[in-house]
Amino acid sequence: MRVADKMNYNQVTNNLSKNRTEMNELQNQAASQKRINKPSDDPAAAARVLAARTEERGSKQFIKNINAARSFLEYTDQSLSELSESLMRVKELAIQQANDAGGSAETRRTVASEIAQVYSQAVQIGNRKLGERYIFGGFKTTKPPFDPSGEYHGDDGDMKLQINKEAFIAMNLSGDKVLLGKGIGDDGIVRPKAAVPRDTEELQELKTNEVERNEENQRLEQEPIALRGPASVSRGTKAYTSVADAATSGINILQTLKDFEIGLRTNDKAEIQSAIDNVDASLSQVVNARAQVGSRVSALNAATDSLQKAVVDSKSTASQLEDADLFEVMTDMTKTDSTLKATLETSGKVMNLSLLDFIK
Amino acid sequence: MAKIHSMMDIGKRAMMNSQTALQTTSHNIANKATEGYSRQRVELQTAVPIVEGNLQMGMGSRAAAVTRTNNPFLEKQVQKETGEMGMYKGREAALGRVEEVYNEQMNKGLNQYVTDFFNGFRELSNNPESLTSRTMVKEAGEALVKDFKRVDTQLTDIQKDVDQRVKNEIEEVNKMSHEVASLNQKISEVELQGIPANDQRDSRDLLLKKMNEKMNIKYAEGTGGMVTVSTAGNAILVSGYDSQQMSTHVNPNTDRIDVFYTPNESTPPFKITDRISGGSVGGALSVRDQVIPDFKDKMDQLAYKIAEKVNQAHVEGFDRAGRPGVEFFDLPDQVAGASRELQVNSEITEDVTKIAAAARPGAVGDNTVANVISQLQNKEIMDGNTATIDDFYNSQVGRVGVLSQRAIKSREAQGHMLDQLTNIRESISGVSLDEETTNMIEFQRAFDASARVIKTADEMFDTVLNLKRL
Repeated sequence: MRVADKMNYNQVTNNLSKNRTEMNELQNQAASQKRINKPSDDPAAAARVLAARTEERGSKQFIKNINAARSFLEYTDQSLSELSESLMRVKELAIQQANDAGGSAETRRTVASEIAQVYSQAVQIGNRKLGERYIFGGFKTTKPPFDPSGEYHGDDGDMKLQINKEAFIAMNLSGDKVLLGKGIGDDGIVRPKAAVPRDTEELQELKTNEVERNEENQRLEQEPIALRGPASVSRGTKAYTSVADAATSGINILQTLKDFEIGLRTNDKAEIQSAIDNVDASLSQVVNARAQVGSRVSALNAATDSLQKAVVDSKSTASQLEDADLFEVMTDMTKTDSTLKATLETSGKVMNLSLLDFIK
Repeated sequence: MAKIHSMMDIGKRAMMNSQTALQTTSHNIANKATEGYSRQRVELQTAVPIVEGNLQMGMGSRAAAVTRTNNPFLEKQVQKETGEMGMYKGREAALGRVEEVYNEQMNKGLNQYVTDFFNGFRELSNNPESLTSRTMVKEAGEALVKDFKRVDTQLTDIQKDVDQRVKNEIEEVNKMSHEVASLNQKISEVELQGIPANDQRDSRDLLLKKMNEKMNIKYAEGTGGMVTVSTAGNAILVSGYDSQQMSTHVNPNTDRIDVFYTPNESTPPFKITDRISGGSVGGALSVRDQVIPDFKDKMDQLAYKIAEKVNQAHVEGFDRAGRPGVEFFDLPDQVAGASRELQVNSEITEDVTKIAAAARPGAVGDNTVANVISQLQNKEIMDGNTATIDDFYNSQVGRVGVLSQRAIKSREAQGHMLDQLTNIRESISGVSLDEETTNMIEFQRAFDASARVIKTADEMFDTVLNLKRL
């Protein structure tokens, strides 16, 4: 082949620019520690890296949600444990005062004031706040849910937090259920649905159902005779906890305490005796609520574990896809370096050779 | 019979021929680095011999022509492939910039802003009472809107850049058409006398190559060695001595620059933008008119859908004060341009308590609607309810990566091919210094020897003239 001078020069330029480009690319990879610096470096992987990052951020947010829910639930549990301790004391007193061997009209009056103390403590527990939020007020977290007379001003809302892509968990127990025993067993009161609406249609459906549910519940409030009707058929299932409400009906703990106090003051033995059962039922209602809280917390813990694993997984997925293998980069660099040196050396030789140098 | 005169004559012409050859050699050496230059050769032929008696006497040599060593078919191929190369380069450059718009490897992009926005609602559902988490939702919404605008603006900027480029390159092509026409004239004038117009042809070949690099042209050589150049189907740029100019104007409908061609003064200009498919102009136009509008459309769909779905849920809710929810975003009238026009409702930016997290009025802790909105992120709401927001956006990133990668790969492959072709072309037409040096020595020797011939003839004359004296 006839070799024109330009061919040499073109070849030298091309080879050098090829080596330099390669070197530049490798240097960039070494500096950024990334194999993918722009989508075209590996389009499929670049899209998957984005998905992995979204996944990671989502998981981190869910962990935050879980932490928020956990502190709420743990505080609820703590408050309920205080309540159950007081109720134990009440039960002891009730048993003690139920017969004349244990109590007299005088002791009963003393005990009555202790019960009044417990009552106001129970109301206080019902008005517990975490930060700025009342934990037993349902959705109405900014106003005290219980007034001194034991009247409930909150609602029956369950604040549900998303703990992973599919599941929600309620972070609160509303006071009307825990303390007033509403919606437990077959009293006919319909609790809100456990499921979180997944889209606007379900949200609209929920809102319509809410209106019906509220009307039904209000009717029951005014006419507190247990009714059998369509409302109980469509009653929400108690999901998000494996612990079902054990009692067949709920009990108004505040009312129980009040009745017990009156019974003591009036020295009404029959009333005091019935208080034993009612306090028992109250205790089991609180214990049951605590069991629900406990099962939710353990669900949260399980979810945290899998989320933490998911965060690590997403990170390593992204890293595997986009991070440069430094060892490989360095090896390639050494290779390219020696190639570049060889190119430079041969280029110098090729370009210096000319017949002109040999003609004197 | 041989004559001393003839000998002197042959010597003289041989010296002249050697000079011509040496001059051509020096021309070659001088143009060693000239782009598009084809090495030239003096075609030496034996002069017409004379017959005397039964002897045919050679009359030395004559320089028949100075020709260039050139393969026109190869030149045409190089020109064609250069056009392709221009197209890939134009595409690569423009796509590289489109890709940067979607590059989230180093900095925050739409993917992250979308996640942040929905995480904002998750944070709100943790604490719907808090003004801080409400402000965070507002900020995340505004950041999202801003990033949609950034994507749209950057894509438009690339289109504007292409506009400017098209304008400049069309002007260059116009200049080149003009030069080709004037070279046509020179070549036909020279070649009418039967002399090959080597240097002018080289220049014209180079011009045609450069025109091809800018946009797809077609050309054919006609009578008198003149080429007719046409582009975009039937727009004739050069015909004989004349050249026609193209013009560029902003199209008021699209706000983009269009290329027009005016065949003659009596005919109105017609648009040829759509028919420019090759060269760097064609490559850049394909990105401007096909790739970018498609990406913009996808972004508009995304922005519109997010706004529409968030609004639908948001208006069902109740805000912190128990009022019914307002629209979260100002929903643009139509999908087209949605990413540019999307705004967070000013009622919300002014008063974050208007963010509706609750499904019940007056229940400050109710987070039902916030939960519904945050779930939108993983719902299949895009592409006729077959893709989630993330899938949809990530697939755009994948697509721009594939397009850009393909452009780079095509350009590289085309580059290798063009390198090879250029090598073959240089192998035929390129100047080799070694060769020219050898030639130089050869012709110099010939020149020396011819001089010696004249000197010998002169001495022979002397001998003849001195005959009488002896």
